[in-house]
Amino acid sequence: MITANKLSLRYPDGTLALRDIDLHIDKGEMVFITGPSGSGKTSLLKLLLGMEFPTEGSLTIMGKPMVKGHNKDMRNLRRNIGPVFQEFKLIEGRSSLENVMTGMRFLGSNPKKIKEEAYKALVKVGLEDKIKSKVENLSWGQQQRVAIARAVARKPSIILADEPTGNLDKDNALHILSLLKEFKNNNTTVIITTHATHLIEDVQGVTHLHMDNGSITVERKEIVG
Amino acid sequence: MKTFIYNIGYFFKEAIRTIKSNVLSNFISVIGTSLILFLLGMVVTVTYIGNEFVSKLEQEAEINAYYKENLNNEDIIELTEVISNIEGVTDARLVDEEEAKSYMEGMLGEEAKILELFDENPFTAYIEVRINLSTMDNVIPEISRLDDIDYVRDNKGVLSQLNGIIRGIEIFGALIIIAVGITTLIIISHLIRQGIYNNKEQINTLRLLGASEGFIGFPYILVGLLLTLLGGLIGTILLLLLINGSYDLLGNGFLFLPLPDRGLMVRYIIMFIMGISFILGLLGSLFGLSSIGKNN
Ligand SMILES: Nc1ncnc2c1ncn2[C@@H]1O[C@H](COP(=O)(O)OP(=O)(O)OP(=O)(O)O)[C@@H](O)[C@H]1O
Ligand SMILES: [Mg+2]
Repeated sequence: MITANKLSLRYPDGTLALRDIDLHIDKGEMVFITGPSGSGKTSLLKLLLGMEFPTEGSLTIMGKPMVKGHNKDMRNLRRNIGPVFQEFKLIEGRSSLENVMTGMRFLGSNPKKIKEEAYKALVKVGLEDKIKSKVENLSWGQQQRVAIARAVARKPSIILADEPTGNLDKDNALHILSLLKEFKNNNTTVIITTHATHLIEDVQGVTHLHMDNGSITVERKEIVG
Repeated sequence: MKTFIYNIGYFFKEAIRTIKSNVLSNFISVIGTSLILFLLGMVVTVTYIGNEFVSKLEQEAEINAYYKENLNNEDIIELTEVISNIEGVTDARLVDEEEAKSYMEGMLGEEAKILELFDENPFTAYIEVRINLSTMDNVIPEISRLDDIDYVRDNKGVLSQLNGIIRGIEIFGALIIIAVGITTLIIISHLIRQGIYNNKEQINTLRLLGASEGFIGFPYILVGLLLTLLGGLIGTILLLLLINGSYDLLGNGFLFLPLPDRGLMVRYIIMFIMGISFILGLLGSLFGLSSIGKNN
């Protein structure tokens, strides 16, 4: 599903954020990416979402090479991805429900269905009492959960979650992790970056990548169900 | 297409939200567009009335051909026949002395009493020739050249002057339309660009979620359309007030000529201004939108 070959990313200012990454992620795999701040986790997710492109090496997702300029391919890919951004990227001035619905509007379902699904997703992340609240009035942890609801409500083939538990207390964090795991069980590829190594130790059947200074230093796959 | 229909409500909500997020500048733009379109409407109205005049005059363009006195009745009938067969002549008929007099009486109205001072009818018979205005320059000399014709009296001077004025108004009108078009396009596209700039984060997020450019851009097209249509509406209302006022003031006629049918003209002008507003709104938003791609 995702293949990287000698993948490097150098930002225009010269920062080498990723170096020589070889990677293969299968459909339905759940991947945790850990590593210190600045090690390149977000950069890797940006490549997977087509926000950046390889400066060296190659990256292929769902059979399509990630190269600049293929706007239509990129759109189609993005429609199959549920992204949770580190800084959320919620749309201000809109309610939680509207935010989640906006992520689904161009995926072909009718508005009634979208509303139902969005509502369900918000209930799942424990925000049923905040459905109508404007997102800028929510706490960081609540905003983060809206972002997660927006990603999962799209029923994507790939979930890319950048620090999805960063602002959550332990109970909420575990709840979100188990919610994301549910998706893995539905054959969705789930890729999560996190600093919270203590939370993922107990999670079974996942791949663990550790990054340092732009390289993958540890790769551990557990093939347990 | 399906996505489009599903989201019409959303598009309108987004458009209204964008307008509300910058009420003052949108309000000013609407006022500006209204005044501009009002100006345009005035020019269109004047041109409309002018054209109406000319076409009335064209229909009624008539010249009087006076024949030589020695002709007998048969000669006159034949002469009338000859004239009516000239190309560009739509009708030719004899007006005898009596008719010429009563015509003059009609023109003079109250003052017709002076005619009673004459013992004999001072008017001579003539042939009234209706012609197509555009052929006037050829027809008049041709009639004058006929042996039996003494002289021809025409209102060519007045007509060509009027025609000139109308052409002038039309050129002026075309310039106004161009100026109005450019100004409106600038106002609207600037507004749209501003809206896009204010919402650039939202636009970027939508892109990252896989929304198409059409989905992202359509609310802004609606913004442009709503604002120009509103401007057009206000401009039209101002114009209608002006037209109604003028009609009440002028009564039914102006310079001896009847004013055009008010209902017809008003309908024409409303359609014209609203049509122009629609087109300008659409183009303006599209120009504004063309900046959307450049910030990713
Ligand atoms: N747009 C950019 N331009 C230049 N350098 C960048 C850019 N984005 C990130 N970097 C640099 O690339 C490196 C990797 O950054 P990245 O955001 O991927 O780290 P991270 O692992 O996600 O860190 P954190 O855990 O703090 O989120 C850092 O040195 C960062 O400063
Ligand atoms: Mg990061």
